[in-house]
Amino acid sequence: MAKITEKTRNEVREIVFAFFAEECEAELSKITDNTNIIRDLDGDSLMFLELIEIFKKKYNLDIELKTIGKYAVKHPVDTIGQLIEMQMLIIEHENRLLELDK
Amino acid sequence: MAEDKIAFVFPAFISDYRDDPSGGIPSFGPVFQSYLARAASFIDQELLAFHPESNPMLQDELRNQYISYIYSCSCADLLQKSGIRPEITAGYSMGIYASLCFSGSITFETGLLFINKAYEAIRQTLPNTYYAMGGVIGLKEEDIKEIASQHNLDLMIVNRNSDYSFIVAGSSFHVNVFLLKAREEGALNSKSLGVTIPYHSNLLAEAAKVLSATVFSSDVKAPELPIISVLNQDLITDAGRARNEVVNNIFNPFNWQATQMQMCRSGIRLFTECGPSQSLRKNSRFIPDCGRFVNWNSLLSQ
Repeated sequence: MAKITEKTRNEVREIVFAFFAEECEAELSKITDNTNIIRDLDGDSLMFLELIEIFKKKYNLDIELKTIGKYAVKHPVDTIGQLIEMQMLIIEHENRLLELDK
Repeated sequence: MAEDKIAFVFPAFISDYRDDPSGGIPSFGPVFQSYLARAASFIDQELLAFHPESNPMLQDELRNQYISYIYSCSCADLLQKSGIRPEITAGYSMGIYASLCFSGSITFETGLLFINKAYEAIRQTLPNTYYAMGGVIGLKEEDIKEIASQHNLDLMIVNRNSDYSFIVAGSSFHVNVFLLKAREEGALNSKSLGVTIPYHSNLLAEAAKVLSATVFSSDVKAPELPIISVLNQDLITDAGRARNEVVNNIFNPFNWQATQMQMCRSGIRLFTECGPSQSLRKNSRFIPDCGRFVNWNSLLSQ
């Protein structure tokens, strides 16, 4: 289990914000934790998949996509803030993510 | 970028033109309207009423295919007139018709005829049941097969977009159950494609036989530009192969991932999607070491 430091948290936030600003051609300054990914940014699941791949590589994560998918069914992500929180949990718990629901 | 070998890829039909990149290209409208008028005169007068914003025609599975074909032909035509010549072309699903037309294998009108006859043949031969197609993202091929097997679902994987993106087809009941189960089993997304025909599945084998009568009696030439088959990644180099591709495309699964990878292995580093969406560009990020996409409108403005 990885320990989430303030540095990691800031890195993740920075990557997520920059990612959506570029992919969705949105102004970085207008994206907030409350921005709705689908409604406000026209985001999609391919973007979510790409972000997961970015974090898997960056933090050398051992996690199967379907584990994340199962978790997301019970904990849907609508906003940028929720997405960041989920990424933190993925980094922290990797393939043990589903144990959080037990 | 000018030195990169480029491929034109022609997408399938879509019903959402929100990403349409033609808006900032004044020369696109007249070309599109010209093709639209030819299509209206040849196959369906109603096409003249088409407008990309809030048009019910996009919910009509046949007319939607005409519109996508017209759009793709217009787009490729503009690129060619701007001096951009691809090394190779490929057609994703029904994109084969625009690919053949652009490559000089068939006329614009013959492409419309094939679309029309394929649709008629499908409606004529498909058993009277409801069908559907669905897309699933985030599961591997073996996961999909296991879900189908566990729940006795009779469906086919009809396209592999990437290692984690697949299209399935079958009866609508089986496809819809699968899409629900796929989410439960960890798919990041699973959704119906909103069509009532199970394209690229063996359910359309009879339709392909009927279509072949039209295809084999029509004027089809050897492509002047290489076309890569999405069915087996071979080059379509003569009229016989072009005809076979049209017929086989209806009822056989295809592999877009393998097709794009094969183009990359042959030296293609740049792709442009000749259509109103960016679905192939978005998908390409999950095909490793496989060149990059540029919007067709940005090529025109260079």
